[in-house]
Amino acid sequence: MKELIEYIVKSLVDHPDDVQVAEVAGKAGIVVELRVAPEDMGRIIGKNGRVINSIRALLQVRADKLGQQVSLEVLEGD
Amino acid sequence: MMNKKKREYEAQGKTVEAAIESGLAAMRATRDEVEIQVLDEGSRGLLGIGSRNAVVKLTLKQGLVQEEPVAPVITAAAPKPVSPTVVEPMTTLSAPAPVEMLADEEEDEEEPTAVSSAPILDEEAAVAQEILTNLLQKMAVSATIVAGVTAPDDLTGERVNVLDIRGEDLRILIGQRGDTLSALQYIARLMVGHRLHQRANFVIDIEGYRQRREVALAKLAERMAQKAIQQRRPISLEPMPPHERRIIHMTLRGHQRVYTQSTGEGDRRKVRILLK
Repeated sequence: MKELIEYIVKSLVDHPDDVQVAEVAGKAGIVVELRVAPEDMGRIIGKNGRVINSIRALLQVRADKLGQQVSLEVLEGD
Repeated sequence: MMNKKKREYEAQGKTVEAAIESGLAAMRATRDEVEIQVLDEGSRGLLGIGSRNAVVKLTLKQGLVQEEPVAPVITAAAPKPVSPTVVEPMTTLSAPAPVEMLADEEEDEEEPTAVSSAPILDEEAAVAQEILTNLLQKMAVSATIVAGVTAPDDLTGERVNVLDIRGEDLRILIGQRGDTLSALQYIARLMVGHRLHQRANFVIDIEGYRQRREVALAKLAERMAQKAIQQRRPISLEPMPPHERRIIHMTLRGHQRVYTQSTGEGDRRKVRILLK
């Protein structure tokens, strides 16, 4: 999961070195936490969340394959 | 990659002349070695709207053909090279178009059928294939990717790359109403666009899903046009994504008795079929 998100996000941002992805166990399965440089936030979320929601759809395919529950959250980086 | 002379090449350019130049360069041929056929003279359009590239087909003259060209194609899983074949878009129903895309992958000694795209398309195809291969691998989807190019669009004459994903049980990758496929194409285009610093507009298909969907939509359009005529009232279709609405518009373009319009916003946008 982490690898997939890292690959996608690093290919979309201007500051790939600032991309951080962590997998955290949550109540309802795994939560993938994503941090990017503030300048890249808009790029990763997209208009009406289109980019982030598309990434979620791809992550869902991976999770379904593994039979796991997963969610993707974008966190404010520092 | 292109050290052997190709027999045939289709090239695009802003003008016919530019297209020929680009084709000759790609074929490493001189003007007197080829026969030139202008497929589309192109158009500047108005204020850049509706402009389209000129398309020419260059064929190496008899006797100059050196060797059967083998187009370079990378596949994700299978190492066997496959020639990119022209994919016919299903925009009209007048002739029931072939449903199988990229059908003929066998070497054919007699007929040089491998038609290459313009160099820009080649670059995009190569990068798109690499990125899509990595994506699928990281999604744990095992599949083969076959690259091809669409036939010139009815309206714009534009060709785009098509990457067809093939494999077992890929329904999960298509998703409901093709939602996951749309997401995959959207993200892959963004990734390729970011890498190449220019907007990517290749199409991703899965086991010919888009093609089948296009045929179904074209049939739906014809049926609903008949219904509108019979019932003498406008018919509204279900909300559809832009490319699907376009298929409806294209199918009924030039229809004698009905015309089409899109209404509504965002996800609710749909096509209306109205009587002329």
